[in-house]
Amino acid sequence: MSQSSLKNRSLLQPMDRARVVEIMGSRFGIPPEAFEGVSFSLRGRNVWAFSLPEIPDLAWETVGLRVISVRGRVPKPTTAALQLFGRHATKNVVDLGTEDALKFAAGERQRISAPVEDGYVVVSHGGDVLGCGQYLDGELISLLPKERRIGRAEPEEGRSGRGDL
Amino acid sequence: MVIRARPEVLIPGGFDDGGVPFEEMISRPFKRLGIYLIKANCSGMKGLDRYRDVIPDFDLFVEAIRRPLPVTARINTLKTDRDRLLSRLRGAKVAFTPFIWYPFGLRLTVEKPGNLLESLMGQIHIQEEISMVSPVVLGPKPGERILDLCAAPGSKTTQIAMMMENWGLLVANDPANTRVASLRSNCERAGAVNVVVTRYDGRRFPDRGFDRVLVDAPCTGQGMARKDLKVLDRWSLKRSLGLQRLQRALLRRALQVTRPGGAVVYSTCTFAPEENEGVVSWALGQVRGVRLEDASVRGLAGSPGLAEWEGSRFGDEVERCTRYYPHQNDAGGFFVAKLIKE
Repeated sequence: MSQSSLKNRSLLQPMDRARVVEIMGSRFGIPPEAFEGVSFSLRGRNVWAFSLPEIPDLAWETVGLRVISVRGRVPKPTTAALQLFGRHATKNVVDLGTEDALKFAAGERQRISAPVEDGYVVVSHGGDVLGCGQYLDGELISLLPKERRIGRAEPEEGRSGRGDL
Repeated sequence: MVIRARPEVLIPGGFDDGGVPFEEMISRPFKRLGIYLIKANCSGMKGLDRYRDVIPDFDLFVEAIRRPLPVTARINTLKTDRDRLLSRLRGAKVAFTPFIWYPFGLRLTVEKPGNLLESLMGQIHIQEEISMVSPVVLGPKPGERILDLCAAPGSKTTQIAMMMENWGLLVANDPANTRVASLRSNCERAGAVNVVVTRYDGRRFPDRGFDRVLVDAPCTGQGMARKDLKVLDRWSLKRSLGLQRLQRALLRRALQVTRPGGAVVYSTCTFAPEENEGVVSWALGQVRGVRLEDASVRGLAGSPGLAEWEGSRFGDEVERCTRYYPHQNDAGGFFVAKLIKE
């Protein structure tokens, strides 16, 4: 992770804010106000968000939060971005009950009937965002990064000790 | 409440103990009275016996070290608010007790807190209670320029980001490649958008003009013994003194890159005075116009810094530092100093 970031360090390009706001607005109905004070940059095939008065003159690894991957045909929001901004979403949101939320958290696919369009969706539980999912032909695919998943799929030894001290 | 009584003045059989043999009795606490009748036995606790005369209620200290740490978490207000999170936990039937001293800290009655959906969502961050102290003492405000010089794995970094309400500049520095990965992942989970991650050797950090700098220095980690007793085996005076060189250089650099009027918080999770008062008092002599401010936190029990240790005189001023011992708050061990640059 760090090596590629070193390579890409010089490629931070300012990005048109309106374009990012449009991507998040058209798909999820997130209002522009949700991004108040936030700027965007393109670095490699990712959009990064940051709320800094200045970017310091330092040899940095990362600046802010990776919010959108523009690798594929359709821009894909990161789970981190939806957890932060997704609470303002008004469409393409799938709210799961506890049992289904745990399945999603474990990275499982599940058949679900939801009033959403095919494509990337905000997946939530009790109105709080779990992360990014993909809805396709009545099936909800969990796109949680592997290291963020919890339960079932893998042994969870040592997980409870996260955090320092 | 703990009744302070020296073990030798308690007469076995003087309480209604149901005829329990003395040997067994001294190995278990008198729960009813909150008295622990244990003659401190430091076997398997290398390097702790040297603190017998400076740590208050040393027997209780040793007894606390043997117990595992309570499970604690911090509410991440970048993702949720306190009431909403607490009602979520109630709904999930997760028992919790808020800290007395800090509204965003919780003690949880759950075996694997990392498996809670609230952890996945980044609404809570699993963090040891006492480690939440240094950002609180640092007191970062939205819009400020803050440097976290030894940031990984990022518990305190994300706590600072939350105190800054995601606005202002927060530079999170850590030289180790592997540790930077955990730092980045914790910043992502927390939803911090004002963090710049750098990988400088902290002793030569280049930028200047910070409002506040946190130096949560690498240390021998004796205060973490409740998490893993093996840290004690790794302790030696030589190691403490080796780390002291690094710690001094880090703190000096932190003071240099702080703007006049700014603050530096120096913290470690060890009891060794060599790595604590011995670093702070040295730095006071190195950088001109630096004074110590009281580093205690209301609602949290602690002890003043040591003015002297084994023939070294650190000065009365270091008594403004705070030492936190595991038995005082049923948490980890910690040392915090707050330095103000005039």
